[in-house]
Amino acid sequence: MTQRIRRLVLVVALAAGSAVLAQGHAGALPAGAAKIGMICTVPTTPATFNLVANTGFIDTPDGNSVFMWSYANADAPDNGHFQTPGPVLCVNEGQTVTVNLHNTLPEATSIVFPGQEGVTTSGGSGGLFTAEAAASNGDVSYSFTASAPGTYLYESGSDPSKQIQMGLYGALIVRPTLGANYAYNAATQFDPSREYLLLLSEIDPALHHAVETSGTYDFNAMRNRYFPINGREFPDTLQDNGTGLLPNQPYGALVRLQPNTVTNNQPALIRMINAGTLNHPFHPHGNHTREIAQDGRLVASTEHFAETIGSGQTQDFLLRWDDPDHWAPNPPPGQQLPVPQPNYRDLMFKDGNTFYSGNPYLGYKGTLPTGTVSQNICGEWYFPLHSHALNEFANFDEAFGGMATLLRVDPPGGCFGFPASTSIVGGTLKSGTSAALGLDDASYYQVNPKTTTRPSPTTIGQTSITVASAAGFPASGTYYVRIDNEVLQVTGGQGTTTWTVARGQLGTAAATHLSGATISALANDWYASLTGVPTGAQNFKVTYKGKNCGNTTGTACTAIPSNLPQQTVKICNWTIAGAAGCSSSTSAGWVTLPAPPAQPQAVGSTDVTSTWTLSGSASAYIGTGSYKGQVRVLVHTQRWTAPAPTTFSTWGNLMTLVYDAP
Amino acid sequence: MRALAFKKTRALLVLVVVSAGLALTSSAASAAVVSIELCAVPGTATLTGAVTVPIWGFDEPATPGDCSTAVASLPGPVLDVDEGDDVTINVTNALPAGHTIRFEVPGIDFAAGPADVDVGDTVSRTFTASAAGTYLYQSGGDGGRQAAMGLYGALLVRPATANQAYDSAATAYDVEATLVLSAVDPAFNQAADQNAFNMYQYRATYWLINGEAYPDTAPGITAAAGDQVLLRYLNAGFDNTTMQLLGMHEHVVARDARLLNNPFDANAETIPAGATEDAIATVPDAAAPSTNGFPLYNRQLHLTNGVQNEGDPTPAGGGGMLTFIHP
Repeated sequence: MTQRIRRLVLVVALAAGSAVLAQGHAGALPAGAAKIGMICTVPTTPATFNLVANTGFIDTPDGNSVFMWSYANADAPDNGHFQTPGPVLCVNEGQTVTVNLHNTLPEATSIVFPGQEGVTTSGGSGGLFTAEAAASNGDVSYSFTASAPGTYLYESGSDPSKQIQMGLYGALIVRPTLGANYAYNAATQFDPSREYLLLLSEIDPALHHAVETSGTYDFNAMRNRYFPINGREFPDTLQDNGTGLLPNQPYGALVRLQPNTVTNNQPALIRMINAGTLNHPFHPHGNHTREIAQDGRLVASTEHFAETIGSGQTQDFLLRWDDPDHWAPNPPPGQQLPVPQPNYRDLMFKDGNTFYSGNPYLGYKGTLPTGTVSQNICGEWYFPLHSHALNEFANFDEAFGGMATLLRVDPPGGCFGFPASTSIVGGTLKSGTSAALGLDDASYYQVNPKTTTRPSPTTIGQTSITVASAAGFPASGTYYVRIDNEVLQVTGGQGTTTWTVARGQLGTAAATHLSGATISALANDWYASLTGVPTGAQNFKVTYKGKNCGNTTGTACTAIPSNLPQQTVKICNWTIAGAAGCSSSTSAGWVTLPAPPAQPQAVGSTDVTSTWTLSGSASAYIGTGSYKGQVRVLVHTQRWTAPAPTTFSTWGNLMTLVYDAP
Repeated sequence: MRALAFKKTRALLVLVVVSAGLALTSSAASAAVVSIELCAVPGTATLTGAVTVPIWGFDEPATPGDCSTAVASLPGPVLDVDEGDDVTINVTNALPAGHTIRFEVPGIDFAAGPADVDVGDTVSRTFTASAAGTYLYQSGGDGGRQAAMGLYGALLVRPATANQAYDSAATAYDVEATLVLSAVDPAFNQAADQNAFNMYQYRATYWLINGEAYPDTAPGITAAAGDQVLLRYLNAGFDNTTMQLLGMHEHVVARDARLLNNPFDANAETIPAGATEDAIATVPDAAAPSTNGFPLYNRQLHLTNGVQNEGDPTPAGGGGMLTFIHP
């Protein structure tokens, strides 16, 4: 019980710092292997694999350790360290595949390839089903042409009642000539970043113990207690590929989708293999899955929420996540949730853990009862995907466990966040709060330019003026201000109350001004802080939608027909100068978001929406320490074009950050 | 191995046209009236040449109704009729006292009449073999215990076209193999009174094709490269049985004696208990995986014979529900 909780909590810890977790050995997976999804074994020579049959132990979530036999990849970075299941062998249609097997087990072993024709062998000695590698360091080779695309199983052909139960099985994937984003033919196209393998098996720990201790192995008395997917039992199935927690079980089984959209309209592909001896009725919650093939052959496609996969069988499914209901927190009439949400104080969770975000809408987080630990990252949904033989949804008869994983549905485009707060660094608030930036609607966050006053009259020619306060004006760099009908450029003394100015700029004429005259900035600067962004998030997409209006009072927006304000949206790079580097409008830490679209942009009185992309790791933009998880986005708008620009207010409608969660 | 399908004696009667002027149309070529005699008798079976167990099995007596010379076979004899035949099966119960037989053939629509046969009695069951296919005949008596003792066998109804499993040309074959799959728990068979045996304790240890465990399933299925092999599977056992075929796919064309609208290829196909399936495997022009040929075997991995009391379950020479397809 405690072990399982520890594992659940560590899912979050892993999300926070998986790069830091030390591993016991170099790893069975190729460098840079994705954390979620099917991982192909990369052969050194195309379509030649060097496998070694060896022994090892696995961990189960109830704290048990079971002795296993399996195939490992001798060419992996860890040089054939034990792994279960065997390596996923991926080849192309028509390739000649060679599998060299070296055997360190105490009895002869072999590999058979159900579904492949014309397998030839070399070396080894003849066995019941095929040529075998002798015990204790024998060798044998197999060769065949992968003539038909599909999902296949490879397994031992020697003493199968023992060797298959002990773990000698793995997956063989044949990709069609059409391309790696097709399962079979043109009708089976899928999103190649959403390819999943679920290899089912069964473990009777008493039989494994008999092999470990050279005891009596009574196969007729088999009683399976563990029901792995990809060699792990729930909740270990949710851990990343290659997790250091499970060094001998490298493959995770989390299935992760985003809803289909016009631009993201290909389904995910789920390849299932049953290496066990029992039939497993597999059951997705949420959408139906569409079965397209069995045993590496297309079948008339059918949709299922329960499909039994037989012993030795493979099945391929396409899974689309369509969102026909469009439930959203601010929906049009008729699209509200059909039932009221329960009060969060009335929610209870098993063992105080949950994958629920506290809010039923996709992409939103809400409130959970005190003391509940949530594994939810950004408001994504989780659905069980499991064997509906409920004794298999358990570890040694204790639920929940066993042959189960989760289907994770991320918000469209990825996780997203909204500003939790705003901070004006050059200007004053006209109206609105950070909440106005959460939705594209009629609600705006409005900022007026900063003003101060002249404590004394201004002559027509003076080039040094004092001001009542410099707060809110740039502390460095040249900038323009307006007094009455004159635009002045501040060229020195920034940050102090004595400014050096150039008179009569931008097509205006120098003039005298009375004592107490108002000085207005011709720029607005404010930034939004988004919080809760997880460490390891990648591929930021920053979206800002806003406009500028010619009035600084009132609720209507006066149009700006010319001299359109120039807008530059920047993001804080915390590594340049820490928090201080993003504290004022001209601090060194602000980085202009890269084109496209190019900046600055001219933004008038009609909302302009722009999205900027920062590919790859976003660690520089996510705060740490007391700013942990914080992303800051600055909106700088200046109106510095001729002739005679007047002051304006900045109206922000929507600011969002979309990212790939770790 | 009692896998031979031998034709039964046919009583061919000339149809007499009634003087009232009725013209009886004959359905297909050689639609005949057929009479089959069956005796249900106790006997023995020797498994893997070493273990002899009591069984109850069907046999066809030399003299109708006289079971004194009948010898129980495991499984019962293959019954072979043609589509359209009017068939009468006369079942005589020669089991020990207290075991009433219930004669059933799922998928066959018998004419009205008793199905139960008391010890010492004979009951006639009549039907028209209107649909070609593979059927499992069995006794459902004693709550399934009689089937566990061996009272089952294959009934084949052949279509008008020779060398086809059904009326569809897609079911043509060159070689035919009828495979009755079953299991034996010797402790159950040896019990003094099967009706007192606790079936929760039933644990089969012999796994059979046509009553034999490998290597006694030899000579296996003889077929050359290019041959279409019709595999008629009948699951007379108690659990889902998956048959895996190495080195070739099998094309599943029918289930429970009915053609599939969407036949499909498989290399591991599960036949539920009590069901029948028909698959056509095309022997490739390529090397077989093994010097023994193309393995066809139980993917529940019941490749063992008898009680397990050592470290290695599968005999090096092979065992259990296994056979080979070979030239």
